[in-house]
Amino acid sequence: MRVVIAEDAALLREGLTRLLEDRGHAICAAVTDGDALLAAVAQHQPDVAVVDIRMPPTHTDEGLRAALALRQRFPGTGVLMFSQYIETSYSAQLLEGGAAGVGYLLKDRVANVAEFAAALQRVAEGGTALDPEVVSQLFRASRQRGGLATLTPRERQVLALMAEGRSNAGIAAELVVSGGAVEKHVASIFAKLGLPQDESDNRRVLAVLRYLGGKPQLQEG
Amino acid sequence: MGAAIRRVAGTIVRAPLTGRNRRELMYCGFGGVAGLAGFWITVVLLLSGLTISVSVIGTVFGLVLITMTLRVSRRLGSLHRRLLKRMLGRQVEAPPPFQPGTGILNRVDRRLRDRPAWRAVWYALIKLPVSAVQLYTVMLTAFGLADLAYPAIWLLFRNHHGGTLSPLVAVVPVPFGGNIRVGSWLGAFPAALAGAACVVAAAWLARGINAADGRLVRGLLGPSSMAERVSELERTRALAVDDSAAALRRVERDLHDGAQMRLAALAMNLGMAREKLGDDDQAGDSAADNRASDNRATVRELIDAAQRNAVDALADLRDLARGIHPPVLDNGLASALITLAASSAIPATVSADIGIRPAPAIESIAYFCAAELIANATKHSYANQIKINIHTERAGVLVLEVSDDGIGGADAGRGSGLSGLAQRVSTVDGRINVSSPAGGPTMVTVELPLRA
Repeated sequence: MRVVIAEDAALLREGLTRLLEDRGHAICAAVTDGDALLAAVAQHQPDVAVVDIRMPPTHTDEGLRAALALRQRFPGTGVLMFSQYIETSYSAQLLEGGAAGVGYLLKDRVANVAEFAAALQRVAEGGTALDPEVVSQLFRASRQRGGLATLTPRERQVLALMAEGRSNAGIAAELVVSGGAVEKHVASIFAKLGLPQDESDNRRVLAVLRYLGGKPQLQEG
Repeated sequence: MGAAIRRVAGTIVRAPLTGRNRRELMYCGFGGVAGLAGFWITVVLLLSGLTISVSVIGTVFGLVLITMTLRVSRRLGSLHRRLLKRMLGRQVEAPPPFQPGTGILNRVDRRLRDRPAWRAVWYALIKLPVSAVQLYTVMLTAFGLADLAYPAIWLLFRNHHGGTLSPLVAVVPVPFGGNIRVGSWLGAFPAALAGAACVVAAAWLARGINAADGRLVRGLLGPSSMAERVSELERTRALAVDDSAAALRRVERDLHDGAQMRLAALAMNLGMAREKLGDDDQAGDSAADNRASDNRATVRELIDAAQRNAVDALADLRDLARGIHPPVLDNGLASALITLAASSAIPATVSADIGIRPAPAIESIAYFCAAELIANATKHSYANQIKINIHTERAGVLVLEVSDDGIGGADAGRGSGLSGLAQRVSTVDGRINVSSPAGGPTMVTVELPLRA
């Protein structure tokens, strides 16, 4: 996997570089702001970019804006947003153009190196990696709570993991059950919520996010 | 009637002989000279400052000169107040002292906004005609006294020469008319009379002009009027509110760039260490292998515990930082409220229509009000739905409405979170209105100015 990192804190930038290089990935560039990120992606055409949200000069949402620009100009490059905070309005903006090749994780998640690397891999391959925090916000904000109430606790767990972007195999590993059991849960969930069955992980995530109202409701006016 | 006139006339004529007249004249002399000097110093400094600052390069020097003028005018003001107190016993309180800021720019800025100093500049300028009149009274008295002495002078120095020498000239200042030529001893008496008139006139003129000057000093060199004081307090309060908002934001940023970043790096390093250790240990054949395996298991446990602690600490810090200044507020109130609504336990929708962006301090107050109101609704209302509306009104007012379809009965007076909110809102002259009849629905409206 070829990776570009945009992170202004040297400690984390170097840590990430080392972590990913240890796992045999190539770091094309490690930059410290949004403009440099766009330039580096244009130059190296990496599989995925890891982007910190707060970067110079204003330390507010440079990373988000750079990520949105990346999504438009380089659709082939996955974008993993990496932040200390999960902000609903950020995830909504990020998911606006679809869930393919998008990730939004808390920086805490890097503590579990294997999971973090797997999430990055998913995003690089055009999949989705949403932080459990993002998903639980979506669950809470969802206007479809009636539908969610019909699910069993186990099915809700599976739905949350699907929304995070996990594959059946990933869900099975997480819940320590067999692949067949996961498939049964998924089929039951889709039937209960009236969602179209779909084999591709990516379109499945999209269906789930759409069901949850992936974009929070903001009425202008 | 006649007695009254005599008494008044007596008072008028005797005025020059009182001790008070001496003090009034002394004040006229010192105050007049100080006023004249002050006028010229102020005018020269101010004009050169203004002229120089017109050219781009000169702006810095010009500003330096103007701030110097303001400093000097404060000093002159205190001199005038001291003279007035010392000679006429009229006490005028000093205005509040200058509050220097930190940093050169802030210092200059505060100097330029130093209202008492600018009022002292006005005083220095207005004082010119006043000084002229004051010095004139001193001159009038001096000439008057000289003229009054003419009969005696004639007797002492001119008597034995008869009328052969050139006549003495008694100068009587305007408006009492020209020079009186004195050719004989008897002729010296009209000059003396004119001199007496001058002295009496000067005494009353001095009282008049000093009374006017005292009023000017009180008005321009004393503490400002109540209205000015109030606007001054409003301004400094707005500064304090903005300052504290900026300070909180700085604290949040320091946390983010410092402790949070280091903890994230720590969690990452622990994760890498944990991975290097691996998961499965094959039980060895020998006792030594088993011991090493046990040790590795212990280390794994320790690292796992350390990692959990690091992640928990990150979560704690995140909550703490949010309570100090939610970072998403930097993107505007609408974004922040959407995130807030998304974490609400009761479904909450946000509608926003914000024209002019409010000051950061106001945004922060509105945000924490919304957070508190949502928390209140969650705890007490049994509502199914919360609606948050934020909009600006034409009159520069930000209106936050939080309503729910719950059971109502919220009371601002019952020591609930609502009274705390009212306090928070009142620091910027905002208003809070609670409508919550028993049985619901509840609607809380918070009105805030766009600037603190």
